Amino acid sequence: MSVAFRLGASALAITMSATASFADGQSDEFWAKAAEPYQGVTLQGVTESSPPSMFIREVLAPQFEELTGIRVDVETTSWDQMYDKAIKDMEAGTGIYDMVYIEQDIVYAYLARDFLVDMTGALEANADLKAPNWDEANFTTFADYFRGADDGNLYGVPMEAFIKIYLYRTDLFGDPDIQAAFKEKTGKDLVPATNHADYAEIAQFFTDYGQENDLDLWGTTAQAHTGHPASWYEYYESVAPTFGVYNWGIDADNNYAASVDNGGQMNSDKAKAAMTWWLSMRDIAPPESPASTWTEVGTTFAAGRAAQGLVYGENAGWISSDETKSKVVGNVGVALPPLADGIMDEVEGGTGYIGYYDGGAFGIPSSSKNQEAALLFLQYIGQNEVQPDWAVAAPRVTHTATYDDPKVQAMNEELGGYYDMLKDKGYLFAGAPAYPFHAQVREATAPIFYQMLTGDLGVDEGLDQMAAKAEEELTNLGYRK
Amino acid sequence: MLARRNTLGWILLTPTLVILFFFGVLPFLYVVFVSFHQWNPFAADPNMIYNAAQNYRRIVFDQAFLNSIGVTIAFVVFAVTSQLILGYLLAQAFMRDFPGKAIFRTIHTLPLIMAPIIVGSVWKLMTTPSIGIIPHYLDEWFGITMNIGTSAFAAFMTTVIMDIWHWTPLVTLTLIAALVSLPPDPFEQAQIDGAGKRQIFWHITLPMIAPAVVATLFIRLMDALRTVDEVWMLTGGGPGSATRYVGVHIFREVFPKTNYGYGSAISVIVLYLTIVACWLLYVSMLAPRNRKRG
Repeated sequence: MSVAFRLGASALAITMSATASFADGQSDEFWAKAAEPYQGVTLQGVTESSPPSMFIREVLAPQFEELTGIRVDVETTSWDQMYDKAIKDMEAGTGIYDMVYIEQDIVYAYLARDFLVDMTGALEANADLKAPNWDEANFTTFADYFRGADDGNLYGVPMEAFIKIYLYRTDLFGDPDIQAAFKEKTGKDLVPATNHADYAEIAQFFTDYGQENDLDLWGTTAQAHTGHPASWYEYYESVAPTFGVYNWGIDADNNYAASVDNGGQMNSDKAKAAMTWWLSMRDIAPPESPASTWTEVGTTFAAGRAAQGLVYGENAGWISSDETKSKVVGNVGVALPPLADGIMDEVEGGTGYIGYYDGGAFGIPSSSKNQEAALLFLQYIGQNEVQPDWAVAAPRVTHTATYDDPKVQAMNEELGGYYDMLKDKGYLFAGAPAYPFHAQVREATAPIFYQMLTGDLGVDEGLDQMAAKAEEELTNLGYRK
Repeated sequence: MLARRNTLGWILLTPTLVILFFFGVLPFLYVVFVSFHQWNPFAADPNMIYNAAQNYRRIVFDQAFLNSIGVTIAFVVFAVTSQLILGYLLAQAFMRDFPGKAIFRTIHTLPLIMAPIIVGSVWKLMTTPSIGIIPHYLDEWFGITMNIGTSAFAAFMTTVIMDIWHWTPLVTLTLIAALVSLPPDPFEQAQIDGAGKRQIFWHITLPMIAPAVVATLFIRLMDALRTVDEVWMLTGGGPGSATRYVGVHIFREVFPKTNYGYGSAISVIVLYLTIVACWLLYVSMLAPRNRKRG
């Protein structure tokens, strides 16, 4: 089902549910009355051009305008442009935007700069603006990433949340001939890998299988662009943690140490093993992998060019279900990423995580000139009632109740049990570490990282240099003393 | 009378000067001011802190910056030289009549109207390993594996060829204008005197179109030195730092890294280097000729 069709169907469904809520008269009365002082106001938002954001622009914003008379213009643009526009606006205090997308990894930087309005506090101070069905307890624990460290208050309404998961082709893994060939070659059953050695064995098998049978098929994906931060993220968010290297190998409690000599993990043996393994996977991945970001990895998998891979949940949705874009609809299974020995016990015990919990929220810049009207809109998109259709149109879940909706359960089947995994195993994944210097350290170390990808630097030398560079940058920024 | 004419001139010029001051001079002065500060809004201290010439001192030892200057110079030399030679040859071709000339000239000019970001996207589609048409046919016809994600040479040459494809039409159009305006007499005279084609080119054509060539060279040189969009879309500066031209380097320093102070210092230095390069070209190519005339 195409995204456009889903958006259209969702608009219709929400119109019907809105009409139904008119029957009880309570909900729509509140929105109309609360919005009375803000007639003529136009809210401006900026966000990344992604399916969940498109749903806000195409479905939720028009519905809100119909109920309240407050116009909402949502500008959807590229990831880097979005940051550029939002940060410049908030830095200069110009107040162009009333709502900005806050990706989980940048929220700490925004909070450190007091860029965002405290929603909990603002609703307490303006009780008339608080919708009767607004309850922060409706959100999943992902909302905790958008709470202030000191006050625990909410600074953004989560609007998308995904985990980066291990996708595999059920048609290939379930093919009796392929299973027999794999058994003959390795002596093992062909099932999704739980450790790195098995994953590598399966990857090599399918790459060889593709070559032997003249197929455009490889054993694994690799988000290994040699000039784009996507590769840096794949390693630090999705690969290094499965070897036991958490928070990029930087110890925030130890003067932001990155190198082993100073107490960090960025150049530890575990980090080097992780990098070596990942590069070996990159070498047997499709040829486009060195030019692949998160988008191209999704496209590669959807084109049926990889038997397995680590794929962002936001792409897993359309790969599994959108026949207009994916050749593998109905043939996608989900599993937890492969792990080194002892990692699952470590994570279950409360230390570390096994992969990336990705997502974002909509927040109100402190510089906004229409904060009250924006508060109304953010509550509107934060209602339980609008979530199921949103989850079907653009697979994402931010509210606990959404999992139990029949539409979402049907979608879960289509996605190979992805929502079940998000619900039951989501706690094993984590967002980016609480660093206010996210992009700064990434950009400082990325050129060295790319040199490792091109082979200009060895893994040992490269990670040693990265650890030193990270500490140098943290010192320059004033975080490391 | 002259004083009144001057006053009127200044009055008419005032709106332009005011706009130039607010949108050209003032931002430049602000960049120079910022370049003497340490300023990263996401640092522990997000305020602007005066640090004298520390940013400029750091530039001298910044290997990443020096590397970006090196690859930028290589890019400019390859791209601009090729554009001048190809542009001149095409201009000479368009001076003659041949079937389909109008259509060919229109097609040849089309890349000029494309936004750089679109050019980068199109070339990315054409060169993506195993999907793009160029690596596909290079492999099928010649057995050559082209992967701009792993080969620094392939990535560099692709950016050069992309720039040539995009900007050669500008050189062609400029040189056509120069060639059309040349008087026929010196050429007829040279032919009567028995001069060969090569002699005519070196001693008559080239000296007469030199101002147009130098002007075109200046424009292309300045453009090439600040190339960002196309390369950003195509390679992102990679593989490694193979195509991290100075414009891309400044972009990464100022935008994702939000290192406003240091990024401003690099911008000022690059502007200075651009002015010096243009001045050297002027001195070596046009000044002697002007002196001779004077």
